[in-house]
Amino acid sequence: MATVLFIVWRESLEAVLVVGILYAYLTRLGTGRRGMRYLFTGVAGGIGLSALLALVTMRIETDLQGQALQYFQVAMMATAATLLTQMVLWMHRHGRRLKHDLEANLDRALSTGNLAGIGVVALLAVAREGAETVLYLYGLGMETHSAGPAAMTGAAVTGFALALATAWLVSRGVRFLNYRTFFRITGVVLLFTAAGMLVSAISQLIGMGVLPSLVDPVWNTSWILDANTRFGGVVAALTGYRPHPSLMLVLLYTAYWGFVVYRLRSTNAIPSPSAPDTATLGA
Amino acid sequence: MLGSVLALAWAVVPAHADTLRVINLSIKQGHFHPQTVQVPAGEKFKLRVTNHGPAVEEFESTDLNREQIVTPGHSIEVYLGPLKPGRYKFFGDFHPDTAKGEIVAEQEKP
Repeated sequence: MATVLFIVWRESLEAVLVVGILYAYLTRLGTGRRGMRYLFTGVAGGIGLSALLALVTMRIETDLQGQALQYFQVAMMATAATLLTQMVLWMHRHGRRLKHDLEANLDRALSTGNLAGIGVVALLAVAREGAETVLYLYGLGMETHSAGPAAMTGAAVTGFALALATAWLVSRGVRFLNYRTFFRITGVVLLFTAAGMLVSAISQLIGMGVLPSLVDPVWNTSWILDANTRFGGVVAALTGYRPHPSLMLVLLYTAYWGFVVYRLRSTNAIPSPSAPDTATLGA
Repeated sequence: MLGSVLALAWAVVPAHADTLRVINLSIKQGHFHPQTVQVPAGEKFKLRVTNHGPAVEEFESTDLNREQIVTPGHSIEVYLGPLKPGRYKFFGDFHPDTAKGEIVAEQEKP
């Protein structure tokens, strides 16, 4: 039962963490009911999509459909990673001015496109983790040797509640930070989440034989942090850390962070017109 | 840049796909059979993982950076290698306590 609890906690954590941070974001930005509507529509859509994805996975009949599903998953992860990164960079660019113009110009500053993007991120994050959780619980229910359904349901619900509590603690913690520190910390967390999604997508493409691994593995850091342990597994899921990365993974991961740091730096160079203090995010 | 890498991979990969060594691995009742898979080091190969049920399993290896769902009654194929000599652990993420195994890559003797 400890395994059920742990797996549900881990599968839910990433999605719940992303949604929790987005919630804190929107609260801090004061987008009101409009922002929340986008967020919760995304979450509801994600729950629906995850059930659908689980059903499709269960019904796969041919290798071709299996491949199509894999491509779909890769596309989901790449889209979520792109939108998250774009959102953090956008906040970094506009964050300084937003603080001053928050009430007056919010509609203009925080375009509907950005709010819709937040909804899509929530949808993809929930769908991705939700589908696996559904499959896992469905599979366990079919096994005869597992404990009673009541104990299993209890462990699954506890695992999900723990994920909610974890995300609540994180978003609670960042809520008390000042404006600048809040966006810097949540920005870094979200960028790591996006990088983790990108690593999963690239690994999937390498496993399908679409991308070459080049050198596999390049190095071994499992003596520092072993991803086979429970703690290591969570770190790997949330940051994209891999103890034995292939060269392709290292190149694309480095390219991602290179791009992000370059964009953050180039925004810093532009002087802020309305803010005398050089408050920056994520740099 | 990613686009051109993908295009290149598309052009290169299928040409080799048919000549690859295929190694079979099956899942039954939350266990892998066989638990140890021997492969030659430095060679590409394809692992065909078949799930004989009854539950869904996720074939996962942090050592090899692979993670893929296998539904009961179906198979998945995972492209692997070329591996350096060594032992690479894999596990069933939905039964991490029982579904364990490893791939042993050895230098072929001349």
